[in-house]
Amino acid sequence: MRKADPWLIAVRVALALFPALASLLAVAQPAGFVRLFNERDLSGWHVSRTSHQGTTPNFFVQDSTIVVNQQPYGQGGVLLTNKKYRDFELHIEVKIDSFCNGGIFLRSTESGQAYQIELAVPGGNGSLFGEAMSISKPAKADGIEKVWRAGDWNALRIRMTGEVPTVALWINGVFMWEVIQPKNDFTAGATAGMIGLQSHWSATYQGLPGGFNMPGAWRPGAAHRFRNAYIKELQ
Amino acid sequence: MRLHEFDRVLKNCITCLLTGLWAGAVSVCLAQQGTSSPVVTNSIGMEFVHISAGSFTVGAFHPPFPVPADTVKGAKRPLNMYMGEGRYSTSEFALAQTLSQRDSREGFVVKIRKDFWMGRFEVTQSQWKKVMGANPSTFSGAESDQLPVENVSWADAQAFVARLNQLDHARRYRLPSEFEWEYAARAGATDDIPWTAIEKTANLNKTHTVAVGQKQPNAWGLYDMLGNVWEWVDDFYNEKIFADRRSMKHGEVHVLKGASFVGDVKNATYMTHAGGPGNGWDVGFRVLFEQR
Repeated sequence: MRKADPWLIAVRVALALFPALASLLAVAQPAGFVRLFNERDLSGWHVSRTSHQGTTPNFFVQDSTIVVNQQPYGQGGVLLTNKKYRDFELHIEVKIDSFCNGGIFLRSTESGQAYQIELAVPGGNGSLFGEAMSISKPAKADGIEKVWRAGDWNALRIRMTGEVPTVALWINGVFMWEVIQPKNDFTAGATAGMIGLQSHWSATYQGLPGGFNMPGAWRPGAAHRFRNAYIKELQ
Repeated sequence: MRLHEFDRVLKNCITCLLTGLWAGAVSVCLAQQGTSSPVVTNSIGMEFVHISAGSFTVGAFHPPFPVPADTVKGAKRPLNMYMGEGRYSTSEFALAQTLSQRDSREGFVVKIRKDFWMGRFEVTQSQWKKVMGANPSTFSGAESDQLPVENVSWADAQAFVARLNQLDHARRYRLPSEFEWEYAARAGATDDIPWTAIEKTANLNKTHTVAVGQKQPNAWGLYDMLGNVWEWVDDFYNEKIFADRRSMKHGEVHVLKGASFVGDVKNATYMTHAGGPGNGWDVGFRVLFEQR
């Protein structure tokens, strides 16, 4: 029997452990941050029961990842943290199928009025919009196509501070924009709210005279995925 | 007016007059503002519209699915981004149809067995103050009396109803059931509301409530059934897209209907079946009464 080469054994062990090591490296928790979800289930989160996107979406955890989809056909929804955040920095990795309109809600109300980081390829990916409310100053992620990894994981760093909010976004370590709103756009001037994840509606309950549908807003069977979500509340 | 219509109006007038015997009540027995349904007003100024018993279908769900533009007769161009343009492969168009048909349902028929009198408007802040005292509303101020009361929990709404019943022993006030609410909101409509009609009848896409009764009433003379504030109904929420045939005996929260001023044409519909707590500042209610 030939004696095993120790170097070869070390390489084999390293290869065998590589996925686990890579995983550990990928989820390195930034100093001072806490996990936004436990990577096993949706404890600490709930579905909005009054969102116009829908109230019965298909949200679940698989492989330490929150998967966001529709249910039933055409009906999306909003997944909200139970906790409200005021000033914070959020690190989260996202992987989105194309032709699905979703987003990350910031300081969301229970019904899903929020400042929103748009997640949509093609579309206004990385933009700052208002969800179910008008915001004073939107933003566009110019140059996002240079840093965005289509069909793969992308790391977002989002910071929101101030009674009149200032919002900033980095994607894969590259600064995209910072917007200082001229005023607080929330009804009743809310200064804190929930973090939310959205799947967009794409069909009404029935065909309606004068109405239209948005099948392009959520490709059938497609999904958005989120992992490695960490948040730090800022003073 | 045909003879049987005259008989119906006469019957309603007699009912109306009997109802109006309560001290201070004002009865308005005939058509007001485009409705032939009788209206009565109680001593604190709450108006109620007579709703006859009947039946309707709940939860008929048939979500439209996209079809390839080249299969649409007369189509001149591919549909735009949000309408399902050529991005879809043949198999994805087929999947959309499969999923839509898988999830479609016919709904079920609900019988409303007894006539009732539905609040013509959402309960206003003025009415709340007369019955309950302190005003909990977010949108309050000198000009707010005709705004709907909001920032009320389901328990708050029930407390209002209980107090109202103490003030008026002639009638039995209560929150509508979800089915009574939807029956009254539909006012005979069998399909969900057309978007053009929503815009005319509902205060939507706004940043605040408006005085009740500013938009067009529905076919039975009820105002603001959609938009302005979500309305509590009596039922527990079942965490499903639509109500079950039988109302739940227990639950975590109660059902909200009709959407609010931050709603839009997507959820300000007869069918939307939502659950509390909502935002607070856009959650109110209306009440109905039955004859004792």
